[in-house]
Amino acid sequence: MTRYTNEYLRGLVREDRVHRSIYTDPEIFELEMEKIFGRVWLYVGHDSQIPNPGDFHCTWLARQPVVMTRHLDGTVHVLFNRCGHRGARVLNQECGNARVFTCMYHGWSFRPNGELSGVPMRRDFPETVLVEPRSGMARLPRVESYRGFVFASLDPAVPPLLEYLGEARCGIDELVDRSPQGEIEFWAGCHRYEYNGNWKLQFENMADMYHPPACHASTVGPDGRQFSRRPGNRGASAPFFADNGEAIVAQTGVRGFANGHSSEASLFREEQAGGIWDDYRALMVRRYGEERTADILKNRRHSMTLFPSVDVLIAQTSVRVIRPIGVDRTEVRVYPVRLKGAPPEISIDIVRFVNLTHAAASFIQSDDLEAFERCQQGLASGGTDWVLVARGFGQELDEGNGVLFGDRSSEVGQRFQHYAWRDLMSAADVR
Amino acid sequence: MSSITRVALRPETPSESRLTLADLQQFVEHEAALLDERRFEEWMGLFADDGAYWVPAGPGQESPLNHVSLFYDDKPTLGIRVQRLRNPAIHSQIPHSRTVRLVANFKQETHDADPSLYRVTSKFVMLEDRPGSERRLFGGRYTHVLRRKGDSLEIVLKRVDLTDCDRSFPALTQPF
Repeated sequence: MTRYTNEYLRGLVREDRVHRSIYTDPEIFELEMEKIFGRVWLYVGHDSQIPNPGDFHCTWLARQPVVMTRHLDGTVHVLFNRCGHRGARVLNQECGNARVFTCMYHGWSFRPNGELSGVPMRRDFPETVLVEPRSGMARLPRVESYRGFVFASLDPAVPPLLEYLGEARCGIDELVDRSPQGEIEFWAGCHRYEYNGNWKLQFENMADMYHPPACHASTVGPDGRQFSRRPGNRGASAPFFADNGEAIVAQTGVRGFANGHSSEASLFREEQAGGIWDDYRALMVRRYGEERTADILKNRRHSMTLFPSVDVLIAQTSVRVIRPIGVDRTEVRVYPVRLKGAPPEISIDIVRFVNLTHAAASFIQSDDLEAFERCQQGLASGGTDWVLVARGFGQELDEGNGVLFGDRSSEVGQRFQHYAWRDLMSAADVR
Repeated sequence: MSSITRVALRPETPSESRLTLADLQQFVEHEAALLDERRFEEWMGLFADDGAYWVPAGPGQESPLNHVSLFYDDKPTLGIRVQRLRNPAIHSQIPHSRTVRLVANFKQETHDADPSLYRVTSKFVMLEDRPGSERRLFGGRYTHVLRRKGDSLEIVLKRVDLTDCDRSFPALTQPF
């Protein structure tokens, strides 16, 4: 039992600051696993990772091994990756295809929908035990998807996924609509990086437009331009600084959404154009018409961060998944996606440019990883117990539907993450 | 590019004759030494204008175009990488890493596609020490595709297959 009351946990988040123990206290991390990761919708994967019957894709929901599968009838399931007999992890490869999944320990086998299929020397077990659903590979209590993004919840009573995503679902739409077929596909593997720091450090960073001029100073060349981070003749190395000397990125706005989601304005103001991008645009106009195409290709958002598990990178055409491992240990995966129906050169360019921004060896991510580890180290000090998220506090614009806009790299996104954290962590233990 | 130190081939080597494994080994060992000594500009200068430095993120990865890579740098990208390694504000390198590479088991392979190219493979181990961080150990296989250029060689492709290329990594700042 925890020694922390709900009232105490609530007090760790104030309007413009949070207590450092939420990053460093192992007991609080255990409570997060239960009260946040055990109760809300968590991103599992994309259904294009399991296109065929029998396909499976293993992943983790926080610390629990799970597998996303496509059953022989085409339905998508999310199972605990655990044998119903003695508990061994059944699937030990990240992905593959099989008609049945066989446990290495005693040879029990399971259908892709989790049902128990075969039991060696079956007659020696009481049949009543074998027909219990829990003797199969148990299913996650709730599984729902939106435009191919599969989410699951450990809480049977969780409200519907679309209710949880709310207005923030537009982040998924804005990525998927960029496909001339209205579909995306995971096709090129993923970048994987890790750091010795709390998962929230990555989460806050995804809503942070204030850090680039300092943190990413080494990505700006002697000519005051950043390296080219997206393809097309209007993506090439943009000026980093405005006329008044401020970094342009830090002048952009951030939005906070209900349930802790957040988004940041795009770094780019223009549509990509020239060469293959003109061909792409023609395909888009054929599918959506001129007006709708212009709307889709408006660079509204850099990314949409869906609390507490996934970041839809619209500008980078990628999906980033965050996996907390321990209070001071986190693993992150970044999947570049293919816009189905777009010229193949565009998908290749996406892969190449994501190497430069999100690989462990990339120009951007390596400095962010340094920042996360330095935060974890600094937060061990007792100089003060509070961490500020005060930038732009009180200056936000209410856009309705629970959305607040903060200009000039406001920390409104981080505040919304922490408010969601506070409300979940201090909620009554029984719904 | 006059500042680039070239590895002169053995003086008795006539420019028309085929290079031996010893020539190729000498070149690869020199390249590794440039990285150990943080002579990044000279290292970059070894690459052909159409050259590439590639570290796949998947075992046996066939292409850098249909799968993510840890590094896939053409020459202009290498230029940005080196410029960044020299930038006084590269926080992930304050303080900077010290590395040492051991390269062994050299094998010369034929390069059927183009007889003017040489392909040499080797095995390597690299230690990386950065003050305040734990020692890191990397290992794997180098594949160098080299082209004769005057009295020296240039790198058309340096491919590094790490034994653990598909794990999740802390920040990688050093080319292997």
